[in-house]
Amino acid sequence: MKQNLIKRSLKTAGLGLASALILTGCATTAVEPSQSAAPSPSEDITSQTATLAFIGPEAPEVFQPVIDGFTELYPNITINYEQIPFDQLATTIEQRIGSGDSSIDIYTVDQPWLAQYAAKGYLEDISYFASEAEAAMPAAMYEVNFYDDKMWALSVWNSTQMMFYNKDMLDSAGVEYPSSNPEERWTWEEIDAASKKVVDSGSAEFGFLLEQVVAYYQFQAIAESAGGGSGITGDDMLSLDLANAGWTKALNWYQDSFKNGLQPTGVGGFDTGPMFSDKKLAFFVGGPWDVGIFGANDVNWGVAPHPYFQGGEAATPTGSWSWGMNPASLNKAAAAEFLKYAAINPDGNLKTTEALTVIPANQAAAAKYLPGLESDPRSAGVADIMLYEIQNTARTRPSTVGYVQFESLLSVALEDIRNGADIDSRIKALMASIDDAWELFR
Amino acid sequence: MARGFGLMIYWRSGLKKKELYWALLVFLAPAVLALILMRIIPAAQALIESLFKTNVFSGEKTFIGLENYFSLFANPDFQNTLFVTIVFALLVNPIQVFSALLLALLFVRKFPFSRFLRSLIIFPVAVPPAVSAVMWSAIYRPDGLANSILEALGLAPQGFILDQRQALMSIIVMLSWIGVGYWMLFLIAGLNDIPDEIYEAARIDGAGYLRQTVSVTMPLLIRPLSFVLVATTISNFLVFAPVLILTRGGPVGSTSLLMYDIFVRAYSFGDVGRANAGVFILVLLMITAVSLQFFLLRKGNQQ
Repeated sequence: MKQNLIKRSLKTAGLGLASALILTGCATTAVEPSQSAAPSPSEDITSQTATLAFIGPEAPEVFQPVIDGFTELYPNITINYEQIPFDQLATTIEQRIGSGDSSIDIYTVDQPWLAQYAAKGYLEDISYFASEAEAAMPAAMYEVNFYDDKMWALSVWNSTQMMFYNKDMLDSAGVEYPSSNPEERWTWEEIDAASKKVVDSGSAEFGFLLEQVVAYYQFQAIAESAGGGSGITGDDMLSLDLANAGWTKALNWYQDSFKNGLQPTGVGGFDTGPMFSDKKLAFFVGGPWDVGIFGANDVNWGVAPHPYFQGGEAATPTGSWSWGMNPASLNKAAAAEFLKYAAINPDGNLKTTEALTVIPANQAAAAKYLPGLESDPRSAGVADIMLYEIQNTARTRPSTVGYVQFESLLSVALEDIRNGADIDSRIKALMASIDDAWELFR
Repeated sequence: MARGFGLMIYWRSGLKKKELYWALLVFLAPAVLALILMRIIPAAQALIESLFKTNVFSGEKTFIGLENYFSLFANPDFQNTLFVTIVFALLVNPIQVFSALLLALLFVRKFPFSRFLRSLIIFPVAVPPAVSAVMWSAIYRPDGLANSILEALGLAPQGFILDQRQALMSIIVMLSWIGVGYWMLFLIAGLNDIPDEIYEAARIDGAGYLRQTVSVTMPLLIRPLSFVLVATTISNFLVFAPVLILTRGGPVGSTSLLMYDIFVRAYSFGDVGRANAGVFILVLLMITAVSLQFFLLRKGNQQ
C-alpha cells in the first residue's frame, strides 16, 4: 500500500516537473528579427480603439502635450506612458523587448544604442518613413537612424551643449565674462584659471561642473577637442583607441580638475544642475533643457559656447533620442502613426518640446522653437550659439553595435578616475573589460 | 526530537498511516512545488543555458560546454568579483549575526523605552532596499550626513563609497542598518523560548551573567542562531541593489559583488551564457557556505 502510494506520488511529481519544464521552456525563446510588414496606407486606424504602451526616461509631464495632441486627432487611440529612469532603461529594454514582450509598443531609443538594438531585432523596420524623414530632418538626424541600410527609428530630439556662468560670482572674483561668440569661445585652460580665481577669492565653493560628469556623451567632446578621437575605430567599429595622447591629455585634465577642487566629487545624476542653481559653482556645462530649468532659479546667469582645448578643435556633444517600435507590438499601424506625428509632423514634434527645453529634431519645428528660447533675458545669445554648434562643431557618437557595453564600462572608469584612480592602469583595465564584453560580437 | 514529535502527531491524530502520509503530502505540496518551480528548475535552466553561446544577432545557440566557465575564471574582472564576494561574505555575516545577538540579549530585558528603541531598530526592515540605497547615497556624499557628524565630532571627513578602501565596508554598514533588526527578532524569540528555571538553577549554582550567557543561553540558542546565520548568509550572497545604486561595482571594482556582476552581464551586456554561468557559480558558492555552516553547527543541533 505504502509502495503504491510512493509510486503514485512519484508519478504525479514527475508529471508536474515535466509540464513545468515545458511551460518555462516556452517562455524563453530568443527574439527573432521579424520581417516588417509596412502598415498598409489604407489600413484605417480610426475605426478601432487601440491602446499604445510607450516607455521613456522622462517625467510624464514631458510627453503629455504630444500624447494629448495625438489623441485629439485620433480619439479612439489611448496612449499609456510609463517612465523608466534612465539608469534602468537599457536593462528594461533588454529584459522586456529582448524577451519578445508585446506590452511595449513604442520606446525611446538613445541614438547610439540604435545599431545594437537594430542588429538584435529589438526594433521594427520603419524604412517606409524614410523619404518623409529625409525631407523633415537635418542630415545628421536623418542618417543616425540607419543601420544596415534600413531605417529603424525616427529622431524626435536633437541636442547640443553650452556653458552657463554665474555673473555675480565672476564679478566678485574680478573675472571677465566669457564671450558669447562661438568664434571667440574660451579654452578649458581659461576655465581652469577663472575657476581657480573664483574658488580662491571665496566667491564660490567650486569652479565648474560638467552636467553629465561621468557620461561618455559629455566626455567625448573633451577627448575629441584634445585630439583623441571618439575612442572607437576599425571597420567593424569594435576596436578601442582609448590610450592615445588625446585621451590621456583629456583624462589627466579631467582628474586634475577634481584633485584641485575645481570640480566637486560625489555629485552625479540629477544632482549636478542644482549645484549651479544653489550657487555652489561659477560655470556649468549643460544642455538646452537647462535654459528652461535655470529659468526658474534666481541666479544671475549668462550663456557662453562650450569650451575647447587650446590648440585643438572646438567639439560639442550632440544627438539625442529617437523613438522606435517594438517588433512584437500588436498595434503596429497605430504605433507607426504616433511615431509619424511625434517626429515628422512639425506640430507634433514641437509638442514634444513644450514641457522641456530641448531642440526638436524636425527642421520646421526647430526653426519655430529656437527663437523662443530667448524669452528669459539671461539666455540672450543662446539660439545663435546652439545653431552654430549643431552646424559646425557637433560630434555624433560612434555608431557601433557594442555601444551599450562601451558606455557603461567607460562611465564606471570615469567615476574611478574622477576619484583619483591611476589613469594608465585604469584605462588598460577598461579596454580589457570592454574587449571582453565585445566577445559577444566577434 | 523531530522523530518523537512526529510520532506524537501520529498517535494523537487518530489517522491511519496512509492517511497521514497523504495529509503530509497535501500540506507540503505547495511549498515543494514552489521550491521546484522557482528554485530548482531555474537553477537547472541556468546550468543548461550556461553551456551555450548565443549569437547576439541571430539568436542562434551553439553548445560550447564549459567554455563560459573557463572564460569567466580566466577573466581578471571576474576573479576580482569572486574575491570581493568571498571577503564580503566573511565580513558581513559575522558582523550582522554578532550585532543581532548582542542587540537581542539587550532587548530581552525590560528597561525604560526598551520597546520603543526596539521598534526603531526593526523599522529599517520596512524600507525597500532600493529606497535605503538612495537614502544612504545622500548620507555618504562628501557633504552628506555622515561627514557632517564626523565633522561635529572633530574627525576628518571620509570618502566612504568614493574611497576604494572604504566602499565595501560602507555597504556592509548600510546593509547591517537594514538587516540587524530583522535577525534580532528571531534571536529574541529564541531567547524567550529558554525556560527561566534553567537560569534559576544556574544562578543557584553561583553563575554570574556572563557565565549564564556562555553556558546556558548560547547552547540553547544554537538552533535559532544557525537559522539566522544560514538565512543571512544566503541573503547577503544575493545583495545587488546597493551596488547598483551606490557604487556600480566601484571604486575600481572594490564592491563588485557576484550578483551585481551577473545582473550587468545579463541585462546591460546581453551576455546570457556567461551570466548564467555566473548564476551557477553563485549557487555553488551558497551551497558550499551553507554546508560548511551546517557541518560546524551540527554538534549544537544534535543537542
